[in-house]
This record gives sequence, structure tokens and C-alpha cells, in this order.
Amino acid sequence: MNLLVLLIVVPLISGLLMLVSPGNGVRNFLVRVASMLLIALSVLLLIPGAAPGLFSLADIHSEHINQGMFIAEMGIALYILYACIRNRKIIATVLILLQAGLLAYFELKYGHGITVARNLFIDPLSVVMAQIIGIIGSLICIYAVGYMKDFHEHHAEVKDKRNFFFFVLFVFLGAMFGVVFANNLLWLYFFWEITTLCSFLLIGYKGDEVSVNNAFRALWMNLLGGLGFAAGIVYLYLGSAHTVELDQLLLLGKTATLLPAVLLPAVLITFAGMAKAAQMPFSSWLLGAMVAPTPVSALLHSSTMVKAGVYIAIRLAPVLQGTSAGFMIAVIGGLTFMIGSFITISQSDAKKVLAYSTVANLGLIILCAGIGTYEAVWAGILLIIFHAISKCLLFLCVGVVDNKSGSRDIEDMDTLIINMPKVAVMMLIGMAGMFLAPFGMLISKWAVLRAIVDASPVLAILIVFGSAATLFFWVKWMGKLITVIEPRHDLEDTVSSNEWVPLVLLTVATIGVCGLFPLVAAVFIDPYLMATYGHTTAMTQGNIIIMAIMLALVMLFPLSFLNYGKNVKVVDPYLGGANTNTANVFTGSAGALQTIGMRNYYMEWPFGEAKLSRLGIATTVVFLLIMLGAAILCL
Amino acid sequence: MSMNLVLISALYVILAPFLGGILAGVDRIITARMQGRVGPPVLQPFYDVLKLMQKETLVVRKSQNLYILFFLIFIIFTGALFFAGGDLLLFIFALTLAGIFFVLAAYKASSPYSFIGAERELIQMMSYEPIVLLSAVGMYMVTKSFYVCDIVSFHTSLISYMPGIFLAFLYVLTIKFRKSPFDLSMSHHAHQELVKGITTEFSGRALAMIEIAHWYENIFLLGFVYLFFAGNPVLGVVLTLCIYFFEILIDNTFARAKWQLTLNSSWAISGVLGLVNIIALSYVLK
Amino acid sequence: MSSLSKSPWIFHYDASSCNGCDIEVLACLTPIYDVERFGIVNTGNPKHADIFLITGSVNEQNKEVIQNLYNQMADPKVVVAVGICATSGGIFAECYNVMGGADKIVPVDVYVPGCAARPEAIIDGVVRALGVLEEKRKRIKEIAAGQVTATIERASLDDAEKILELQKIAYRSEAELYNDFSIEPLTQSLDEIKADFATRTFLKAVIDGNIVGAVRGYMKGTACRIERLFVAPGSQNQGIGTRLMREIEATFPESETYDLFTGNRSKRNIFLVKKLNYKISRTEKVNKRVERVYLQKAGQNRG
Ligand code: SF4
Repeated sequence: MNLLVLLIVVPLISGLLMLVSPGNGVRNFLVRVASMLLIALSVLLLIPGAAPGLFSLADIHSEHINQGMFIAEMGIALYILYACIRNRKIIATVLILLQAGLLAYFELKYGHGITVARNLFIDPLSVVMAQIIGIIGSLICIYAVGYMKDFHEHHAEVKDKRNFFFFVLFVFLGAMFGVVFANNLLWLYFFWEITTLCSFLLIGYKGDEVSVNNAFRALWMNLLGGLGFAAGIVYLYLGSAHTVELDQLLLLGKTATLLPAVLLPAVLITFAGMAKAAQMPFSSWLLGAMVAPTPVSALLHSSTMVKAGVYIAIRLAPVLQGTSAGFMIAVIGGLTFMIGSFITISQSDAKKVLAYSTVANLGLIILCAGIGTYEAVWAGILLIIFHAISKCLLFLCVGVVDNKSGSRDIEDMDTLIINMPKVAVMMLIGMAGMFLAPFGMLISKWAVLRAIVDASPVLAILIVFGSAATLFFWVKWMGKLITVIEPRHDLEDTVSSNEWVPLVLLTVATIGVCGLFPLVAAVFIDPYLMATYGHTTAMTQGNIIIMAIMLALVMLFPLSFLNYGKNVKVVDPYLGGANTNTANVFTGSAGALQTIGMRNYYMEWPFGEAKLSRLGIATTVVFLLIMLGAAILCL
Repeated sequence: MSMNLVLISALYVILAPFLGGILAGVDRIITARMQGRVGPPVLQPFYDVLKLMQKETLVVRKSQNLYILFFLIFIIFTGALFFAGGDLLLFIFALTLAGIFFVLAAYKASSPYSFIGAERELIQMMSYEPIVLLSAVGMYMVTKSFYVCDIVSFHTSLISYMPGIFLAFLYVLTIKFRKSPFDLSMSHHAHQELVKGITTEFSGRALAMIEIAHWYENIFLLGFVYLFFAGNPVLGVVLTLCIYFFEILIDNTFARAKWQLTLNSSWAISGVLGLVNIIALSYVLK
Repeated sequence: MSSLSKSPWIFHYDASSCNGCDIEVLACLTPIYDVERFGIVNTGNPKHADIFLITGSVNEQNKEVIQNLYNQMADPKVVVAVGICATSGGIFAECYNVMGGADKIVPVDVYVPGCAARPEAIIDGVVRALGVLEEKRKRIKEIAAGQVTATIERASLDDAEKILELQKIAYRSEAELYNDFSIEPLTQSLDEIKADFATRTFLKAVIDGNIVGAVRGYMKGTACRIERLFVAPGSQNQGIGTRLMREIEATFPESETYDLFTGNRSKRNIFLVKKLNYKISRTEKVNKRVERVYLQKAGQNRG
């Protein structure tokens, strides 16, 4: 059987097994086996020749598969409709009716006439995505085994539906593989809708009112995107392009005269991608998704869901290149990056900080897609890789801290370097990976800046302000972790190996991928760019050497901890001379003992969440409308 | 990278502390004269640093001075990169990295005053970073290269292309030189509120390293200013020194601002002047 | 003249002055007197300062503050008492809560009399302090180079306060190592240590009249327990610790074994006593990472 099909089907089957497995032990075992299998299969993709370049499911009657998919799709629509009506969610009801109606009409009327040469395909871009989904996604599943045990111990009020939970996780992964391998847009759309459904189910896992409401918010926003997707397919087929294949769409996009036939569908599908990638004005669904257990957040933020959104946008980038609609997409991405980064400054909930930072970084990727030049796409793919690894690591670390210390507020994380030294160090590495030279995200940001100044320098304004804010909120968090106020007890003892393994691997990956990034670029990104654009970009030799020197210097830093503190005298911090015997207590006025406290700046003004989100939503909606207008007029 | 550039870079690493120290000494004398005083000898900054080397080193947390060591290393690295004609963006990133080590050192010291100093230092970094990056972008638009060696050998002075960016850069330069009104994080004159802000808990060798890093930093900052005038080397050097004098004048004229004013004004000026300048550039250069 | 005396940084503390002397101290910074000519900077931070300038008399409220600030200054350091209040308590000396001059708490090197002390006098005092500073620097260098030998002698109850003070300075470093600032050596009170004097023999190491190290021991049955060996941070690595150990062992020649314990992270302590032929007898877990290491050595009397 073909590797691609295996990757889609294996998670599905193992998920079903988990659903019916008799006990926690069996299921946990299944989760580990399935995860390792998925990792192995994804790595197998790297071996040349293991997966055929293009593949049509000739040996299976694709007609039956199509019918099966259509029926499943309608089933999903019915389920969503039922859920919407039961919870009286009007917007979602309307959207699902519109979307399912449109597609049912299309499939029933034209479905038989559609001929598809290739249903699935694989190229270096899909391979990169498959690695992210397969490896990082599976690591999260392993982590979830340990996490969910603690979670249900701490949250007795939540009904234990772990079999169902893992079932959805794996179906999610399978659907993600489907998204990145599908060439037939109808298939892609089918998998796309499954990811929407899965995220809906996972966000609502806790079952309380907030979770359910947030799940529905995620649902309607993604359904709106899905509606755009469906409209795009219909327009593509009924228009002069007359195809439902992704590679055809891209091919047509290359010729200027044929562009009008594909630009609007491409923009509509990118629009769906932007909703999925939680771009403003849709960013609120991803923030709401925070209520779900941490593995879900990690999954949504790093390897699935939002990555489906940016994947499709990057995929369509060649079509968008140089168009006004593309520029508008870039502006929306840039605004999302800037405003998202600003808002993060005012947040102290660790998961929310991570969520806003995801929104911001995805904005950067969407910006790359909107610009669409090969330099931009190069930067965009790098961003996808680095972001997935570092962000996943950070989410998993925060999950551990939350479970063990009972708080995920950054203000409670001081002294973490003493209380949970290993986790704290991993978090520091993850954060360094997010914004610091010479680590991954910074390399990518650098590439983005270069791509922008060549294409449309004005956008640089958004980037420079956004990244200044990024610097601020990451460093103050890092600082909090290493500040030692009062030593407390060891919280790290009870972290299980299910949690350690993914954490350690991701930490190694954060550093490793950064050290090996020229290789990553050469193996994954360059071939894709060569195939798509005919040329590729790279960093100059000299700069790579300088980066390597920097990396080596930074690596010296942890090493120097082996031997330090010679010839120094330890004294109390300066507290105006009013120190007492206890390091963090001083004698205040009238002899009263006071404990010192150190709190970060959050700058509610000018970085308050409510005001800035309103501003962001208003401006991005305007740009979205301009984008659609530009696409219709085909500018 | 030619042999020449490597040589310049090596010279920088060796000479910058001396130049920077003398510059600091001159700065102190000029400041004193502006205040109607005589002021210390020119070599005073060297006496200070030598003295600090001889003193005992006090710490609150034993590892805190490690961060300072890396701050110094990366500041030297950043300057060496600049004078070796390296990539301007990389230079800015390295500078940020160095700054972060400094800030983390203060966090590590776990003292309320160094904590406030660290937060304020971060606000300062956030205030100056946009326009520094925009300067690099502007220079690239004009010269089509991010490399310092190409920018410096461009035939006309860049200031004629990017006066807006230059003005905004000048505004935030006060932050980088740690001059009033934007000396929020470690002012010499803010005992009441800050003690010594970010450097409160550092003494002896660590404090000496901070001082030396500051000298290195001042030299490559002046180098950055020079890039705007590089079309005419002689005039360029004179103007760069004038700018330094101007900064001293500002230092002695203004009272320390709050962080709100620092952040808002530098962002507003960077945003408006930067945007206008870049839009103008993209039309002019078309 | 070394660079030390060319760059004296001052830290000014107003103990309970009437503010008269403070104004005069500030006057020194103005253009008329301009002490920056001599490289003098008013730092406002004890950790950066070389000269501790005290104005006003010491009272019950500020005695601990003065002590803390003095402890937080890096060696070499000098204290200048400015004004008659800081010198002797001045006109406030008879006040119900006034203890007297600054020298009641910290060793004063230069006294600048006057009420208020005139700026010229203050500057003169600081310049004299530079001479003291220079001498102290030389002495510290000699001590660090091991050219000065400490005398080891038995401590008396009068030393209790000084020993306790040094103990608290020396054990900070241990506390940081274990991230536990509630260890007993840091929390011990003066009364407790005085009570210890009744049951234990204290030895002190003295250089120039200053205590730079101490150890205590007592007999329990036939074994000698040795406790709390510490050496001032500036005087370490000169064999003072070893000499204290030898001396305390010699104080109890009758004992069969010598016992002591330390934490597993205190590598230097373990190294030191192992060189004196102590062997690890057992370890005891305190928590997951910290162990208490017991070391033992046989006495002459044993078999
Ligand atoms: S010496 Fe005189 S002027 Fe100085 S503090 Fe005492 S009373 Fe005031």
C-alpha cells in the first residue's frame, strides 16, 4: 500500500482502536505504539523513492472513495447542524447550511462529470509538513498520555472521556496528512472540514459553558473560511479553469493571461487558510481554544490546524505573487503580526502569551504567502518549521508547570529555575528559539525582512514594530523564570517519562534544527522553490559562518555554568539597608516586616487587549474587503 | 571579507576600549564645563575601571556575573562584526542578543532595584529597535546591500536620501548612549528611585566589564552614525563627533523622562518619519 | 598612588542628622567645591562605593541599617564620620534612643568634626580616607597573598557578636548553593550563640585584630563533634581553615573520633577535611538532591 495512504489511514484506524479499547492501560499502550509508528512512517518519507512522486489511486475505485467522502461530509454537516441547533448557535447554523447546501448542489449536479488525474501528490513542501505533523504531532500524543492522567486527577469535575479524546487526536492527525497530500481540491476540502470538526470537539472537551462557547466560536469562524473554500472550488470548476486539481490551479496561475481564472479561487482558499490560521479578524477562536487541555493547545498551535491554514496559503503563494489581492493578504498578515505582538505585552497568562505569539507568527507566514516571491516563501517555510518546534516545546513546558505548580500565570513563575530546573531550562531554550539570534525564528524573521525590502519595503514598518514588542514580552518572561525570590520545594519529581521524552526531544530539535538549518533549507526548501519558481535563495556563506560562531558562543553559556562563582562574596540584595535575616524580607516603616515582590510591566496602556483587538479587527476587515474586491476585479 | 576589513575589525577590538574610555573622559569634562565645574581628569574612566578590578566582587546570586561576561563578549562580537563590514541586520540582532544578556543578568540578581532597571532597559530596547532596523532597511533601499562595507563605500552621503530616518535615529540615539532624558535604566542621577537600576547588584569586576562594554558600544554606535555621512569621510567624522557633542548637550539640558514618554515619543517619531521616508524612498528610487 | 585613590566613590548615609551636615555634603558636589575633580562620585549604592560617609548619630532605629550597609560594601572600604553627631552623638548624645557616634556600630577610619562640618573639612576628611583606603588595599593584598599569618586563639564570650556576624556573611554562600536561606547558621540569634559558649569550645582566627574565621567543638561521649567551620570570604585559600581544624582537634586530644558533617554540594568543605584524613562515614538524604555527608577521623586515643 502506498505510503501516503498509509499515513492518512493508520491514524484513523488506531484512533478507532483507542475509542473501543477497554482500559487506560491498553489505550495508553496503543497511543505510544501508534505515535511511534507515525513517526517512523513520516521519517520514511524522507527516503527518496519510498513515496512515488505522483500517485493516482487507480487500483482503488476513486469513484467509490469520492462517494464515500461525500456521504461522510454530509454526515459531518448533519452532526454539526444538530450540535448547532441544540446549542442555539445561529451563525454557525446558517453557515453550515450554506456550505453544505452549496457543496451538495455542486457534487450532485456536476460531481459525475469531474475527472481528476491525481488525487494525491507529494512534493518537498508536503514532506516538510508531513514531518511536522508526524513527528511533532505524535510527540504531543505521547505527552498527552501523561498529561491527561494528571489533568483528570486535578479536574474531577471534567468527565473522563479519554478514549474519545485520543480518538479525535489521531483522526485529527490523519486529516492533517490528508490536507497536505491532497491534490484533488474536493479531497482537500473534505480533510479540511474534518480538522474543523476535530478542533471543535477538542476545544469543547471540558464540556463547561466557556469551553462550549469557545468551541462554537472556533466552529463558526472556520465554517466561514470553509464556505470561502467551497465557493473557491465551485468557481474554479465552473469558471474557465474548469478543474478541481491543485497542481492545475498552480500551473494556470503561472501564466499571466490565465491568472483571472484562478486568482479569485486562490484568494478564496487563502481566505479559508487565514481563518484557520487565526489571522485577524479571526484570531479570537485560537485564543478561546486555550480552555482545552494543554496537549490540544500544543497540537492546534504547532503541528495541526493553524498549520493547515498557513500550508495552503504558502502553497498558493505563487498565484498571489505581485497581485493587489496578495499585497492585501500580506498587509493583513503584517497587521496581525504587529497587533498580536503588541497585545501579548499586556498578557500574563502563559498560555495566552503563547497563543498571541502564535497568532503573530502565523501573521508573518501569511505575510510571506501574500508577497509570494521565492524569497518570501523561503522565509515562510522556515518559519513554519521553526515555529512548530519551539512553540510545541513551550506549550508542553507550560502544561507541565501548570499541572505541577497549579498556576500558569507568568507572575507565579519566578524561582522556577530552582523549583523545576530542567523544565525551566527547556522553556528558556524554547523562548530563545522564538526570538533570539542565532536561533530559528530569528533566522526566519531575518529572511522575511530581506524578502520584504525587495518586494514591498513599506511592510517593513509593521515588522520592525512587531518584533520590538516580541523582544519585550519574551525577555520579561525569561527574566521571571531566572529570578529567584524565595526558594520553594522541588516540583519536578513527579513529571512522568511520557512528558519528559517529548520535552527532551523537542529541546534537542530546537537547537539541532537551528544548527542544521542550512541543511534543512537545502533538503526541503530549495528543491521546492526550484520546482515552483525556478530559482531559490539562500544565506551567504559568510553569514552562515557568523551565525555558527554566534551559536557556538551562545552554547558556551550553559557550559560555563559548570564552573562559576569563584572569588565572589554572596551578600543580600540592596534593600536600603533594611535587610533582615531572611533574604527577601525587609524592615518597613514602624518596624513592620515586609516581603519584597517583583512584578513585570504589562503596560495596559498602550497595549491593552480589548482596545487593540477592536482596532485590529476593524482594520483587517477593511483590508479583507479590499482583498476580495481586488481579487474579483483581478488586479 | 577582505584582509583589510579583518584588520579594521581586529583594530577595533584592541583600540575601542581606549578610544571609548577617552571619549567617556572627554564627555565627563565637557559635562562638567557645561555645569560650571572643572571636572575630573581625562583618564578618570580608566582609573575607575582599574579600581573596580581591584575591588572585591559582591553578588546576590553566584551565576549573575556569567551573564555580564557574555554581555561583554557579545558586545565585542557585535562591534567586530560591524567593523568587519558585516551584514547590518545580523549586527542589529547580535546587539539585541548582547543587550538581552545584560537584562537577564539584572533579573538573575533578583533584587528589586535591578529588576526595575531590567524592565526599564527592556522598554528602552523596545523603543529604539524599530528605527535601528528601519535605518538598515533604508540603507538597503538606497545602496542595494545590507553589508556595512558596501554601504560605507556608497558614492553619496545617505543622509540626503534618508533625512527622516536619520532624525528619528538621532532621537533614539540618546537612549543608546544612555543620556538624559532617556537614561531610565541606570541613570547616574536617579538614586532616589532606582539606586543604580540595572547595575545595582554588580560590583568589582562585573561592574568594570559593564563599563568596558559601554565603551565598545559607544564606538560602534558612532560608527553607525558615520554610515549616514560616509559619502564624505572627512566631513563624516567631523559631523559624527558633532553629533556626540550634541548628545552631551541634550544630556545636560533635559530632565529624565518617564517610560511612557520615552516609548511613545520614540515610537511615534520612528513610525511617522520612518514610514514617510520609506514611502518617499520607494518612489524616488523607482 | 594606585587607581583606587584616584577614584573614590562615595556612599552617603544620613543616620539621624539634623540635615545640616547633609546639606554640606551635597555642597561638595556643587561647582564651588566640585569634588569630581578628584574622581569622587556620589554613587548612592553601597555595592559600588569605597567610602561610607555617615552623618548624624546612631540610634536604635538605624543601627542595623548602618551595619547592613557596611556589610554590603566591597573591600577595601573606609568609613568617614561627618559632623560631631556622627563622631560622638553630638548634641543628641543624651537623647533616650541615641547610642552615640558611628563607631558604636562600624569601625570609623576618619572623623570630620564640626557642626555642621564645612565642605572643606569634609573634602579633607575624604582625602585622608584615601590614605587609609590605600593602606587597607595593600593589607588585603598581603593577606590574600598569604604573607600575613592569622593567629588562632580561643574565643571568649565577648567575641560572640563578631563571630555571629562573620558566620552570617560566610554562610550566605552556602545558602545560595543550596537555595535555602533558612539554614541555622543564618538564623541563629545572639542569645543562642552565647548559650553555645557554655557548652562548646570556640576557636577564632585573627588578623590585625579582626576575626577572619572560627570553628567550634565539644565532646559528646568519647567523640568530638566539630561544627561550623568558616573563614571570611576574603581570607580563604590561605590554610586558615586547615589550621583551625588542626587546632580544634588538638583542643580535644582525649577523644576517640572526630565527627563533622556538611552538605554534599559543599565540595570545598569536603575537600578540605578529606585532606585532613577524614573519611566519609555515612550520608543522609535531606531531600531529593541534597544529602548530608558525615565525615569522621580516628583520634590518637583509639586502639
Ligand atoms: S553635626 Fe550638627 S549639623 Fe551635623 S548633623 Fe549633627 S547637629 Fe546637624
